This record gives sequence, C-alpha cells and structure tokens, in this order.
Amino acid sequence: MPGRRIFSIFLLAFGLVALSLVGLARAADSDGSAADLKEIKSEMRQLREERKRDREVIHSLEIKVQQLETKDSKVETTTQQLHATDQKLKETTVELQQTNAQVQTLQTKVDAPIAASEFGDAISRYLGTHSFTVAGAAGGSFNYDQQSGALDGVSHVSQNSFFFDWEPMFLYRPTDWIMFEGVISTAFGSTGTGADLSTADFQIFLNDYMTVVAGLFDQPFGDWYESQSPMWVNRFVTAPLPFGAEAVVPGGEIGVQLRGGMQFGALGQDVDYTVWGGNGPNFSSNVLGAAVSSPTAVANSQTNGKSIGARFRIYPLPVDSQMGRLELGASTYNGKWANGNWFNSWGVDFNYFIGNLQARGEWMESYRQMPEGMGSDNRQGWYVQAGYFLNDLNVPGFPDKLNGYLHRFEPLVRYSGVNQRAVSTDDIAGATGVGQGGFQTGLVPDFGINGSPATYAPHAREVALALDYWITPSIVWQNEFDLELPQNGGAFVSPSGAVTPAGPIPNDRAFLSQFTIGF
Amino acid sequence: MRKIFAAIVLATLTIGFVGAPASAQENISPAEHKRLFREGAQLWPVYCNTCHNARPGSEKAPYEWDLIIMHMRTLGNLPAGDVRALVEYLKAR
Repeated sequence: MPGRRIFSIFLLAFGLVALSLVGLARAADSDGSAADLKEIKSEMRQLREERKRDREVIHSLEIKVQQLETKDSKVETTTQQLHATDQKLKETTVELQQTNAQVQTLQTKVDAPIAASEFGDAISRYLGTHSFTVAGAAGGSFNYDQQSGALDGVSHVSQNSFFFDWEPMFLYRPTDWIMFEGVISTAFGSTGTGADLSTADFQIFLNDYMTVVAGLFDQPFGDWYESQSPMWVNRFVTAPLPFGAEAVVPGGEIGVQLRGGMQFGALGQDVDYTVWGGNGPNFSSNVLGAAVSSPTAVANSQTNGKSIGARFRIYPLPVDSQMGRLELGASTYNGKWANGNWFNSWGVDFNYFIGNLQARGEWMESYRQMPEGMGSDNRQGWYVQAGYFLNDLNVPGFPDKLNGYLHRFEPLVRYSGVNQRAVSTDDIAGATGVGQGGFQTGLVPDFGINGSPATYAPHAREVALALDYWITPSIVWQNEFDLELPQNGGAFVSPSGAVTPAGPIPNDRAFLSQFTIGF
Repeated sequence: MRKIFAAIVLATLTIGFVGAPASAQENISPAEHKRLFREGAQLWPVYCNTCHNARPGSEKAPYEWDLIIMHMRTLGNLPAGDVRALVEYLKAR
C-alpha cells in the first residue's frame, strides 16, 4: 500500500503545484491585460487605419473601375461608330463603283456614234407629238417685154423690171391622220407689195384609200395648178398660156375634196382619183371672154351655183420595167355661175419621164353659158413641153470642172396656145384686178408673168425656150425667152358688151431670168 | 346639184368612218423596216421626179418628212403603202 500512498502523495503534490501555477498564472495575467489591451487597441487603430486605407484604395479602385467602364463604353461607342463608318464606306465604295460603271457606259455611248434613227426619235420626243414645219419657195426675177404690138387702143410701152416673191407653206400635223396646210403668197410685184392666201385646208386621212381635203385649195384639174405651179417645180418662169392671162379653168376653189390612190398591179402601177365640190366658178364680169377668177380674188355675190369636179389618173408602167414613168389623166369641172348659168370643162393630160428626159402636156376645153341670149363663151387651151438634163453630157477635151457645170443645165422647150371667142378689154387694161390671185393684171409684167399684149390675143400662141441651171435639186437659176406668135381670129369685148374683131396682132418677144429656192 | 353634193359628203363620211385611221404608226419588225427601205429607195426617184426633182432625205429632219410626206401623199394621191416606204427611206438618209 505504500505505492498507493506514494501515488496519492504525488498526486496531491501535483495538484498543489498545479494550483500554484494557476495562481501564478492568474497573477501574471492581471499584470499583462493592460498591456495587452493597449496592444489590442493599438492593433485595432492600426486595423481601422488599414481599413480606412483599404476603403480609400477600394474607393479609388472603384473610381478607376468606373472610369474604365466609362472608357470602355466610349470605346464601344467609338467602335460601333467605326463599324458604321466602315459600313458606309463600303456602301459608298459600291456606289462609287456603280457610278464609275455608269460613267463608263455613258462615256462609251457618248464616244459611240448615235444611230440616225435613235437621234431622230430623240428629237421627235423633244419636239412633241404635234409637229410643225415651213416649206415653200422664194424667188427673184428680172422681166423684160418688148411689147411690140398694140391691142385695141390700149396704151403700152416696153417693160422691164425686177420682182420678188415669197410663198411660205405652213404644215401643221397634230396627229398622224390629220394635217393643216396653208400657203401665203407674198410679193413685190407690179401692184406693189402685197400678200394673198393661196391655199388653206385641212387634210384628213380616213384610211389607206381616202383622204378628205376641206378648205381653199388649188383646182385639182389637170396637173398644172396643183403640182406644177410652185415656182421651183415649174421648169419655166412663166405658166403655159391656158393657165396664164387667159386661163381656161379657174385656178382655185373653196370646198371639199375626196381623193386617194392605190396600186393595181406591180410596184409603180397606180391609179388615183379626186372628186370635189365647191363654191363654183367666178368671172371678172358677165361679158364674153371675161377672165376666170380665183375664189379669193373677186368678192362675188353670185355664188349660189356650186360646182363638182373629178379627175382620174393612171400610171401603167411598173417601176421594174425600166420603161420610165407614164401618167395619163382626165379631168372635168362643172358648176353654175351667176346663179344659174352653166360652166362646163374637161381636159386630158400626160406626163412621161425616163432618165434625163421629161415631157408633159395638157389639153382642155371649157364652155360658159352666157346670160341674155349671148352666144356661149367657148375656150380651148393646150401646152406641151419637154426638157433634157445634161447630166450625162461629157464634151471631149473639156476639163472635168467645166463638164461638171454642163451637167447642171437643163434646156427646155414649150409650145402653148389658147383659142377663145373673145377677150374682155377690161381685163387687158387691168381694170378688173384679177391679177391679185396670181393671174396677169393688165399689160405689165409681174413675177412669173411677161405681161405681153400678145398673151391677150383671142388666139394666142407662144413658144418658150428655157435654160435652167440647177444648183441643187431645189435651187435653180432659170432663163426663159418667149416668142409670142398670136394667130388671127376672135374679138375684143368692151365692158358694155360691144364686140370688135381682134384683127392681126403683132408678134412679141420677152426675156425672163429668175433665181428660185425651194425649201 | 345640191343632191349630188350632199350625196358626196354623205358617202365620204360613211365610207370614211368605216375605215381605220390611215396612217396609224404600227410597230414593225426590223425585217419590215428593211423591206420598206428597199421599196422606198426604188420609188423615191420615180414618184418624186414625176413632178419635180427628187430631193435627198438629208435635206430635212425626220420629223419634217412626216409632214412633207403627208403633203405629198395628198397632192400626188400616192398609195398609202408606198408612202410608208418612201418615208422610211427618206428618214434613213
């Protein structure tokens, strides 16, 4: 048991030591707590300061982060802007490429010659659907007439003078089946400066075979008035006698026409027709031999008669036959004048050309019923003419230049005549003023008129020699020498109706030179 | 006379309204253009020289030929088909 005692004693001693140590420890603790507290406080201060610094650092970092975030946003915006700008740049580049391509195309088009049809179409579009143009002719002339013979006591002297005439033709086309056409004749002539309405009419193209013409028009009798009277078309300066001082048929009419043409065989084989009605014929007076007058020349109240006319033509030769072109025609014009007296006329005509040769001619006759038991006023007229272009004439030994000038010449000859029972002395003296419409007035020359007394002979005859120099197809210098060779027969009638036999009438000579431009 | 005149006017209006507008421009093929041009070249010296010297197409603008050919169609009573050929030729020169 001693061991237990020893162990208990040891245990007791250990306990006492331990308790002593705890007491010592407690004493030591109470001495160190103040220091520890200070230290702890100090540490806490440090910790607070550190915390404060950390907060400041955090705050600073937050600011920096915010700044960075702001900067990042700006960068993002800038990036987006850059992206948008880049996109626009790409689009602009594409547009620029397209523009360059268009410029290239336009440049190519500009450099390439434009087709005439395309240019024409462009001009047509520019000008609009209603179109208008002016054609016509102008001419200046010098006329000399010897006037070697007297006529029934009418005084006369040798005549020579200059004249000028301008005849614009206005064409207006509102649609492709309607047109208006008007021709004004303006002249400085024997009666001074003046203007006259030659034609003014509407043309309505109903179909391929029918055209209506309504208004004031050239008489569609034969070929002369309609197609040969324009100054640049007429190969001579003057008109043939049946269309001059003693016209057999009135030169114009106010009314309505129906006309057309068609091919009946091969190309060039055509027929055509013209039928018309109008105010009817007029005359300068009621005596025998009174001159016919155009509708615009004489204001005549005796216009209740009206008229009808017709003309038919045939062209029998085909183009391919190489036989030239032949025209054969027949015309008639009938109506009442002086409110009841008949005027009847008819005529035939031909026209033929082949190569450089051209020939044409007409024959016509009229009958005028006279009032108060007077004998009828009968008239006949004709002409035939031929011309030959010297296109193919080459004189051996002549220089080419001289032969070139020769090629432009066209010598011509024409024979024309008129037979009528009587001629009104009022017309010879110019008292009726019929010349205003384009016919002769008195014994004086005028534009296209030689004024010879012999042209008033009841049985007038004329040989006309001409030499035309063609500068272009429509610009010509014409020179004409007229030999007036009247036949005996017929009579002169005074305004009172007194009839005097014409007796022999002297021959006469005239020279006319005219420069004409057709445009 | 009055009856004749009235009959002419009536016949004109009746027949005219039955027909189509004469010169209505049609769309024509290039081959038809060529045919008309060749035909116009044949007719030009013949038809024009019947009354006056043939004038070259270059003298006038194409639109002017439309007017002048209408004038000539009336004056010369030219067949409508031939007129189309002539104007085709004149405009092309």
